[in-house]
Amino acid sequence: MTLFQDTGGDPRAQQRLLADLLALYGAVGDAARGCRPQTSGRVAATAVSLAGVAGIAPDLTDALYFAGLLHAVGAIGNRAHRAGETLPERIARMEDWDVPAQGARIAETIAELPPATADLIRWQAERWDGTGYPDQLRWHGIPRAAVVLALASAFVACDDPEESLGFVTDGAGRAYSPEMARTFTMWFHTVGGEVAAVAPPLDALAPVLADAHATLLDRIADRIDAHLGVDGRWQRVARLSEGAAAILDLAPVERNALAIAARIYGAGEVTSTPAVVERSEAAFDPLARLGIDDRAAHALAAAAMLDGIAALAPVAAIVGARAEWFDGSGKPHGLRQKAIPRAAAVLAAAIAYTGLDHKDRIDGAAGTQFDPAVVRAILETAKVRA
Amino acid sequence: MIELQERTRRISPSRLHEILQRNGCASMVDPFMGLPTHLNYLKRHGIAVHGGDLLEWFVRVGEGIVANDLTILRDSEVGEIVEMLPGRIYSLDTFKAWEGVFFSEEQCVYLSVWHDNVRNLRSDGQTGLAILGLWRTFCYWLQKTQNPDDMPDVAPSELAWSYIRETEAWVVANMRHNTIRQTDVLTTVEAQRADALFLAPPARNSFRSADARIWMWEAWWQGNPYFTIEHAYRDSLFGARAADPPAYARALASVLSAADAYPLVIVQTTEQRLADIEGIVANARPNVEVLAPHPYEIYLIAKK
Repeated sequence: MTLFQDTGGDPRAQQRLLADLLALYGAVGDAARGCRPQTSGRVAATAVSLAGVAGIAPDLTDALYFAGLLHAVGAIGNRAHRAGETLPERIARMEDWDVPAQGARIAETIAELPPATADLIRWQAERWDGTGYPDQLRWHGIPRAAVVLALASAFVACDDPEESLGFVTDGAGRAYSPEMARTFTMWFHTVGGEVAAVAPPLDALAPVLADAHATLLDRIADRIDAHLGVDGRWQRVARLSEGAAAILDLAPVERNALAIAARIYGAGEVTSTPAVVERSEAAFDPLARLGIDDRAAHALAAAAMLDGIAALAPVAAIVGARAEWFDGSGKPHGLRQKAIPRAAAVLAAAIAYTGLDHKDRIDGAAGTQFDPAVVRAILETAKVRA
Repeated sequence: MIELQERTRRISPSRLHEILQRNGCASMVDPFMGLPTHLNYLKRHGIAVHGGDLLEWFVRVGEGIVANDLTILRDSEVGEIVEMLPGRIYSLDTFKAWEGVFFSEEQCVYLSVWHDNVRNLRSDGQTGLAILGLWRTFCYWLQKTQNPDDMPDVAPSELAWSYIRETEAWVVANMRHNTIRQTDVLTTVEAQRADALFLAPPARNSFRSADARIWMWEAWWQGNPYFTIEHAYRDSLFGARAADPPAYARALASVLSAADAYPLVIVQTTEQRLADIEGIVANARPNVEVLAPHPYEIYLIAKK
């Protein structure tokens, strides 16, 4: 099935869709690395703004945008950040050093990105004095554009913009070359510590192949599952929900959104922001009320990641409502019966079904947790597939 | 004022690791290793690494971050390196020749104290870690002579402390035998057998224009501020005897010839030198793949 609306061969629309998916990838990366939501977009915008003052060439500036967006994707699946990993501090730090190189490897697999993107991600954490990672490059061996990305990350990471000025100035000669630290100071005083959002440089993306979006989305889903230690989960959920949606005769638009939601609902579990309980849903019986707070928090976190990503707006409503119960006792909004999007009800039942050891138990939740019609459709799909 | 060069050799160990993985290599020899931070990366990722160089301080650092699997420095031991110890007699004038030229009086005293303290450390591993940490302090000072107003003033012992602490974090074991030796290229190539040989050959006559941060630190380690790097390269394969292009080509060809037993040879070069080097590599090996992510980071991957 086609996951996305037909763009009618419009290359611009295809590039826009790809940029949206990259923004999603970046948001998942932020969550995996424990960055605040929207960090990747802000890093991208800051890097572009800084590049103007630093005199970075336009093609590298475009690459910087995408490198900023994907700056933390290497953390998805990295052992230092993976759910359930308990590593000694020393080993965890060494694993974390690999995040930029892993991010570069991910960027290299996305053929549409500007060629310099991968290496900017690879060298974003190098330091002037050679104590950075992963390559411990030093002095002028670090490309200036990569230093711009490092400065943008430092700026965004600081709570107060003024704080970043002190941070960078103190790092002159150690983290950054004195010249780049000066450039940052100049930029800071020029923009006043305010950075506006910038549109993705779509022209910098290579022509997008027909199946590129679906391939990228599947890869994101694979990495989310690898991060959570549940390899292949999205495929089981997608197969079930796809079959159930056909039986329930959902509209094609709803079915497409459901298929995307089945791939990315796990992104909410990746998050490690303090507001969200970082616990695996697998720790709880999917049919028990215990754990519903976690499920709701993960649902909201996944929906928040899609916020502002135009192409995925219909998906946000589905993943955000997957912890609602048919009888209205679910969370976070207590929606009931018809108020719950049909696709969300299918997704919730498919997730629960795949998590059950004894599959028949889902029948007992019909009418309370799940819509009985949805449960019947899920069971029928499972029977056919068996 | 001393001139700090802009062009420095760039070796990206993460990319090198990707090349080794693609070719199924689990061990590698680097006879021109220089500062062996790239070997530390490869070691951390499970590759058995063997390095060699002519400069002793590179070799000492290699003993700290490559050959050393578990020796680290405790806080008290770092303190014994960065500060003058009561009761110990120091020769505070060792680096007086640099005073006023490159460094202040206080800095020269610290260089002398550190030299004596490092020489008194208990193990090769600790010595290597200390040398690398102190070198970064030394580089900071040299950089500060260029940008006195842009870089913060940090107390020497505090700066040295933080750098040695950072260096210590890189010590790791990979359950493989990793070695470092101070010898010329051919000896290293022939002494070890591995799946891959990595060569980043120095440019012709590069020892005559070596970076001050490299040769001055060898002078520090030798305790002789008048030391020049030409001493180390005297009678070496890529020393004065390889000064002209044919001699340089012969020297490189002899290394490739000695590397005949290695299944894979990776030669790193730059776009500028590619034309000269590619022909020599192609003469030695029939299958040469060129991987060129950057004009100044080109890999010739030569198989049998």
